[in-house]
Amino acid sequence: MMEKGVQRWVVDISTWDPSTDDFSYALSLLPQHHHSSITRFVKKDDRKRALISWLLQYALVHEVLGIPYHEIVIKRTLEGKPFLECGRVCLDFPNFNFNVSHHGDYVAIASEPLCLVGLDIVSHMIPEKETVLEFIQNFSSCFSSLEWDQIVTAGSNDEVLTEFYRYWCLKEAYVKATGSGLAYGLHKVEFYHTSWTDISVKVDGVRNAQWRFWLSELGKGHYVSIARGHPISATESYKRTLNQTKFNEEEYNEGLLLPNVSFVWRTVEELFLVIHKAKSSC
Amino acid sequence: MASTTGASLKFTSLSSSFKQTQVPLRGVSNVNSVSFPSLRMRPGSLRFRVSCAAKPETVNKVCEIVRKQLALPDDSSVTGESKFSTLGADSLDTVEIVMGLEEEFGISVEEESAQSISTVQDAADLIEKLMDKNCA
Repeated sequence: MMEKGVQRWVVDISTWDPSTDDFSYALSLLPQHHHSSITRFVKKDDRKRALISWLLQYALVHEVLGIPYHEIVIKRTLEGKPFLECGRVCLDFPNFNFNVSHHGDYVAIASEPLCLVGLDIVSHMIPEKETVLEFIQNFSSCFSSLEWDQIVTAGSNDEVLTEFYRYWCLKEAYVKATGSGLAYGLHKVEFYHTSWTDISVKVDGVRNAQWRFWLSELGKGHYVSIARGHPISATESYKRTLNQTKFNEEEYNEGLLLPNVSFVWRTVEELFLVIHKAKSSC
Repeated sequence: MASTTGASLKFTSLSSSFKQTQVPLRGVSNVNSVSFPSLRMRPGSLRFRVSCAAKPETVNKVCEIVRKQLALPDDSSVTGESKFSTLGADSLDTVEIVMGLEEEFGISVEEESAQSISTVQDAADLIEKLMDKNCA
């Protein structure tokens, strides 16, 4: 039953080139009050990603929790993390929560039934106006000396950049899971791994066994990370959106030890269909 | 510190909620005892920047740095009110922008201060504050 709350969806938006009318149609699938948060973006690609990100949220909530479209209420915390406002409708799972990410060609969503979930996509972009070392130097304070060492001794410029992006991706997933969502908490969490599997962390210098992490590639040079952790680590504002933050060990492990599923590919057209059907069937 | 003698009250960088033509001074005859019940003029309140907003040159420089970092087309509008996220800055961009500002203005931005920057104006104001400290 809890397994159903674990979802990982991804959409490749590179082939979606909407005309103004197409975009208006897509926008009309979402409640009016979300529109400005999409149209405010200056770049068209950012508007595309924002729109698909909202569609994913509505589609996920509708499909997994079976909530009728017009009853879905998604809000954002002060820090900007979206959450589902549950009334009587989300009792299937102890703490249904989700996170979205978008970068480059992909927009993705991940959900968990009990643990916090954070998701991040990073596209392997090669710095244009500076060398790789100059580029990564900008971010050195976000890494522990152990991690930094791993990055700069990775080998070729490409290998150095890869290690950098992988660490960054994982750190972002952690920070997004807690609801903080700022690049400035990144140095607090230090990652340990064996060839990027068996990933564990120290938070503020202390080993924390209540978190699990996974890192994989979506293709076309995009890394994706998932962080799953204890609700007690959430920011105050995000904690308020959760049903339960205290668990005994057994209860917590039920959520922590759920299998991590691989990403399911959805298309833009599929999302339109799902939402359109959901909207019309109320 | 805000001085409230009528003539020297300057409102800069106000958002649309207050238009200069609508000052609620109806019925007040003595300008030295003006009270504005709808305004919370606490010292340190950041909502009303009384003569403390950054110089236009600083704001423009910030706009320039942001434009470059985000590779924005020349015709896109970047002003003091522009939010970095709306312009398309992801987390990597935001850190690089702050680094770029530190280099350009010879300042050092603390983590806590960096967290509160979300618009070009915020950045410009912080820069001037830090630059004043440097010269003190």
